[in-house]
Amino acid sequence: MNGLLLCRLKLALTVVLSVLISFVTSTTQAQILPPGFRPKPLGVHALVGGRVILKPGEKIENGTIVIRDGYIEAVGADVAIPAEARIWDCKGLTIYAGFIESYFPIGQTNSPATANDDNSATANLTAGGVNFYGVPGQRSDPGARGASYEVGKISPEHRAVQDYSPNSKTIKPLRDLGFTAAVIAPQRGIIRGTSALVALAEGDPNDVILKADMFQHIAFDPQSDEERAYPVSLMGTIATVRQSFFDAQHFALNHADWQKQPHGRKRPEFNPALAALQPATEGKQRVIFEPGSALMVDRAARVARELKLDFAIVSSGQEWRRPDLARETGATFIVPVNFPTLPKLPSEEDWEQITLDQLRAWDWAAENPALLRQQNLEIALTTYSLSDKKVFRKNLKAALDRGLSETDALAALTTIPAKLCGVEKQLGTIEPGKIANLTIVDGKGYFDPESRVRDVWVDGRNYAVQPAKEVAKKDENANAEKEDKTKAEKEKKNAELKELQKKRVARGPLEGRGAIAQRPDSQPVVIISNATIWTSGSRRILTNGFMLVSDGKIQSIDSSPLNLRFNPTDRIGGGGIHITPGLIDAHSHSAILGGVNEGTLPSTAMVRIGDVINSETRNIQDQLAGGLTVANLLHGSANPIGGQSQVIKLRDGASPEGLKFQGAPLGIKFALGENVKQSNWGERNITRFPQSRTGVPTFHRNRFTAAQQYLQAWERFQRDGGLPPRRDLELETIGEIIQGKRLIHCHSYRQDEILAFLRVMEEFNVRVGTMQHVLEGYKIADEIAAHGAGASCFADWWAYKFEVYDAIPFAGALMRERGVLVSFNSDSSDLARRLNTEAAKSMKFGGVPEEEALKLVTINPARQLGIDKWVGSLELGKDADFVVWSGHPLDSRSVVLQTWIDGKKYFDRDEALKRAAERKQEREELITKAKKLKSLSGGGSGSSNESGNDGEFFRIALETEFDGVERHCMEEEH
Amino acid sequence: MIYNQRHTIGASASSTAQQFSSCKVERRSPSSAVQKARHLITTFFGAVVLWMSCASAGAETLLLKGATVHTVSGATITNGQVLLRDGKIAAIGSSISATDAKEISLDGLHLYPGMIALNTELGLVEIDAIRATLDLKEVGEYTPDVYSWLAVNPDSELLPVARANGVSHFEPTPAGAMLAGQSGLLALTGWTTEEMVVRKSIALHVYWPRANLDTTPKERTRNPRTWKSLEEQDRERKEKLRQLDEFFAEARAYAKAKESAKDFQPVPAWEAMLPVVRGELPVTIHADDVREIRAAVNWATTNRFKMILADARDAWRVADLLASNNVPVIFNHVFNLPQRDTDDYAAQYSGPAVLHRAGVKIAFSGTGASLVKNLPYEAAQAVAFGLPAGEAVKALTLYPAQMAGVADHLGSIEVGKDATIFATDGDVLDIRSNVKRMWIGGKEVSLENRHTRLYEKYKNRPRRN
Repeated sequence: MNGLLLCRLKLALTVVLSVLISFVTSTTQAQILPPGFRPKPLGVHALVGGRVILKPGEKIENGTIVIRDGYIEAVGADVAIPAEARIWDCKGLTIYAGFIESYFPIGQTNSPATANDDNSATANLTAGGVNFYGVPGQRSDPGARGASYEVGKISPEHRAVQDYSPNSKTIKPLRDLGFTAAVIAPQRGIIRGTSALVALAEGDPNDVILKADMFQHIAFDPQSDEERAYPVSLMGTIATVRQSFFDAQHFALNHADWQKQPHGRKRPEFNPALAALQPATEGKQRVIFEPGSALMVDRAARVARELKLDFAIVSSGQEWRRPDLARETGATFIVPVNFPTLPKLPSEEDWEQITLDQLRAWDWAAENPALLRQQNLEIALTTYSLSDKKVFRKNLKAALDRGLSETDALAALTTIPAKLCGVEKQLGTIEPGKIANLTIVDGKGYFDPESRVRDVWVDGRNYAVQPAKEVAKKDENANAEKEDKTKAEKEKKNAELKELQKKRVARGPLEGRGAIAQRPDSQPVVIISNATIWTSGSRRILTNGFMLVSDGKIQSIDSSPLNLRFNPTDRIGGGGIHITPGLIDAHSHSAILGGVNEGTLPSTAMVRIGDVINSETRNIQDQLAGGLTVANLLHGSANPIGGQSQVIKLRDGASPEGLKFQGAPLGIKFALGENVKQSNWGERNITRFPQSRTGVPTFHRNRFTAAQQYLQAWERFQRDGGLPPRRDLELETIGEIIQGKRLIHCHSYRQDEILAFLRVMEEFNVRVGTMQHVLEGYKIADEIAAHGAGASCFADWWAYKFEVYDAIPFAGALMRERGVLVSFNSDSSDLARRLNTEAAKSMKFGGVPEEEALKLVTINPARQLGIDKWVGSLELGKDADFVVWSGHPLDSRSVVLQTWIDGKKYFDRDEALKRAAERKQEREELITKAKKLKSLSGGGSGSSNESGNDGEFFRIALETEFDGVERHCMEEEH
Repeated sequence: MIYNQRHTIGASASSTAQQFSSCKVERRSPSSAVQKARHLITTFFGAVVLWMSCASAGAETLLLKGATVHTVSGATITNGQVLLRDGKIAAIGSSISATDAKEISLDGLHLYPGMIALNTELGLVEIDAIRATLDLKEVGEYTPDVYSWLAVNPDSELLPVARANGVSHFEPTPAGAMLAGQSGLLALTGWTTEEMVVRKSIALHVYWPRANLDTTPKERTRNPRTWKSLEEQDRERKEKLRQLDEFFAEARAYAKAKESAKDFQPVPAWEAMLPVVRGELPVTIHADDVREIRAAVNWATTNRFKMILADARDAWRVADLLASNNVPVIFNHVFNLPQRDTDDYAAQYSGPAVLHRAGVKIAFSGTGASLVKNLPYEAAQAVAFGLPAGEAVKALTLYPAQMAGVADHLGSIEVGKDATIFATDGDVLDIRSNVKRMWIGGKEVSLENRHTRLYEKYKNRPRRN
């Protein structure tokens, strides 16, 4: 009896500590329901004779569990069974702590993103205030209907708990899998609202809520609605998340300040969204990020750290692409087991369009959970994203076959989710005082998919699991058996199938990439001799030149051979080779994840290309093969003020952060002309300001004036203190331009618009970094030179739209002659592979001398981007970024033999061909495996589960979405 | 000077009037070559071949001296001479005596036959983004009686830009859903389309039904209403092929009926098919995907059609198939990005070399109407990745002339062929080389164009600084 009393005390303590106030009443007295209701059962149960898994790795054979009033009262091998208990014989059964589903988005729990859009309401144009997007409000309700955040996709105030009522249709499939509790989460939007932890019991909704406002949920889900409301791009999504949290921080400060001194000043707005973000902002509420791709895992973690959020991550199932990025987050991952199955292709020939990447994704999928564990990450398993929940256990088995341990798997269903939810004192293990949530399985236990889940207990109530109907399956088996001559043969087949499934054939995408080292253990020391070296610097062109590289830098460059004290790792020279600096592309969209344009608003200065660098695109390798070493990744040209740009070095294999050119000045894309006035966007787009070239300077002047005042507000705050101004990511960015910290790269065509733009910038004492494309720049070369802007042009593109009808291939030469700093760019994943021959066109059109022609793609773009102290020429002390050419670099018949960055070889012609051959080989092996699996499993869908999941198979990873596709400034619109 | 202005188009109105009338005369009493050509090919319209001799009317007798003559069909002659008379090449050698000829010294220059750009949008497109300037595409899947040469704008600003880099002839190619129409070969000179046309109908254009399946899952598609399962798409692509086959069968039936029936009522579309089903007119099949190419070759072989493969992105993957079936290829995708993640970085660059090694005859094609001038650089890229330079030059001149059925008078510097020649100050495959002078049908053409005019204008803008 003493034991029991102690147990009760413990229980009471637990209850006090917990938030589960409602259960206090049920423990103290039985509730008598009015006649007509089914009376409540007594609620004392003893589960006897089962194998009790107390927690992962700890079990009792032949144990007893006593349940009273929804709680576990006692557990052990020799526990006294209370006289009043109902006895449940559990012999031969395995009892686990009830499983917890960590992520269960439920449909229609969120309000529509934008309820009240009226694009053409000009009345609102005058009525609307200027919000942070830098446009007059185009909606009467900027976000959702009623008081809300101005972006409809930001709805942190949404509470899943308010929409949840237990519905057996929804929760029974989960219980059938052994789940007893679930985090129900809102499903739509970017900042989606809060989830609730519920017991998967039926009855009064108020009774089943274990914890309301469990997490705040954020998804990098730029899925555009038809209205194309901001944000529609991935980078816009991230900017919106950051701005929302900064707004929430300021909201709190503002209200606190106002409460201190409410008289005689403007009342701060009431904003339910910002109020709802407070717990997350203060670190009191965990935030769950769903980044949606392997690379965005890293971004989510960085955003969370910047905002000081306590966070966990929903896995995309794709972390195998970059395990390093997952590892660095140190976060708990909520991991789905949604594995692709082999598709049924109409004809054998159609294997043609199955890519290596798809096959890799298929082959890696089941290994992803184990891989995350290998990165020392805690994982919680979820049924999320399975359209057919029934395949969960089969897929889980596949994950176990691929190295996930049963202990880890059990933890991922019990203790880890309990910890994630902060309910480890109530759930997750079988211990006295914990909620009586149990999962009971027969046979060999849960991890054998053949063993049936018998019952689950939720809040001390038993829910029997009906055996699944297996008619369809039997039919299939019957057919299969007809084909199989003997049972033994079938077993052999099955064993073979299993073996095949267990062994991964696919390699990691990081294999066969990255720097190619002669001696992997040491930094390369390179000696180049007997070569023509185009320095693009003070040493001009050194025929029979010499260059020494170590520690990633140029240590010596000369024409005369020196006495060599070095023992180089690499020796380059002879055979008529030429050496040039690594080529630099001042206008690229080649390594951007998701959209290139946030084309919704006329100013999107708050979005950052740096947030969405795609380190995984093959463009990097293909452009290295053309001698490119540096690219200026630019936002598109859909708006007068576009997003922030990012200079990268093409260090293939590095992470997105690792690609960034450290020290490069900040940049931003601007644009003028047809794109920004939406001339070619169709008749639907005629209401965004500006719609003509008259409005473009008006718009720029407006935003720069606003930014100027924003800077002044901060200066005042720094001088006088008080309430800090609201941080405005758009104006802050434009402010950096005014302060000279950020270079403008402005897409432009016609001479009039270029002049108008330069003059507006001069009003704000801003010197433009580069005019991009600048097709009619040759008409006003003197004015551009006088302003001091660089010109980054196409070699010869013209006539693709009206404003480029006057573009001429002589433009670069003409501007150069008049003193403009000129470079040639690609704006194309193709042209970026052959900028040398683009440069050669300047010799043909305008007679630029060859040394100067090469500079159009080396030192000139380096100067334009402000990185010329490190790159762009081969000079003492500079970065060892260079290209080895088979012949004259401006001859279209020459090819790149090697490309080096920071003194490391990132491209080697033979190596590249070898790696491609390996990829081809790997694909063949994967197809062999796939076909064999198909034939072994009787021509069905063939992989680790029976119900087909072609959709997942055909899913194109964000990282490879644009491989083989040309990307331009306006891609989103075409 | 990297271009010359000696002979601008508008400069000699009187000689042009003369040229126009003599052209008419010549059509009435055609040369033996024309008769021969007529004999070879006839269509519903009667004479197919219109002679470039229109242009020759204004041609002088010229002796080009001092240049390296790249005859293409034969040996290259350093410090060679070429005699142009009556619009034709009258003699080639090291020392030709022609007292009536005006001597033109081309010391240090290189002479090449005019380049021929097949499968282009030139003449049918002015500004891509402006619909009013596009004449590329018609409505319907079966429009064999659409003729591209009728809609070429002789005053397109794009034409002189292409010409200024040595392109003398082009094939404006109709685009379409499937059976798009017929193309002609046009010279980059002439006052009207009728003067420009060298040969009407050089091919019927079939855009092979797409083999590629849209594998976008239903839940991810942008428009779920139009989403189709793989099976459904497979049925549809098969059905399209069946219909295509059926169309050609009907065309054959028409041809047969026409031979036997009295009081036959002609149908324009079927009439347009006659030279094709009779095997006189090649079918240019546009296909990129390897599955499409295989199917197309198979179809053309079975039906004994003269096939030219155009676009041909994946052609290098089935080089042997193309070679063994004698299918020439217009390769448009040298600069295409590698399409498969297993492809090496140079897969498309080296495509022409692979085709050549297998024995496939290739021609290059410009990228887009405005950049046809870059035609030789597609070949140059192929040379960098293994195509022999001599083959590359042939693929710009002689081979496209053969594919267009005009190799008897174009495509090489040979006695008796048209005096269509250009002079460069370097290798034609080298971007740094400049075209200095050009003759089409023995008449020098201007190298001036919109670009050079604007350059001159703004080069001479008084300095502001």
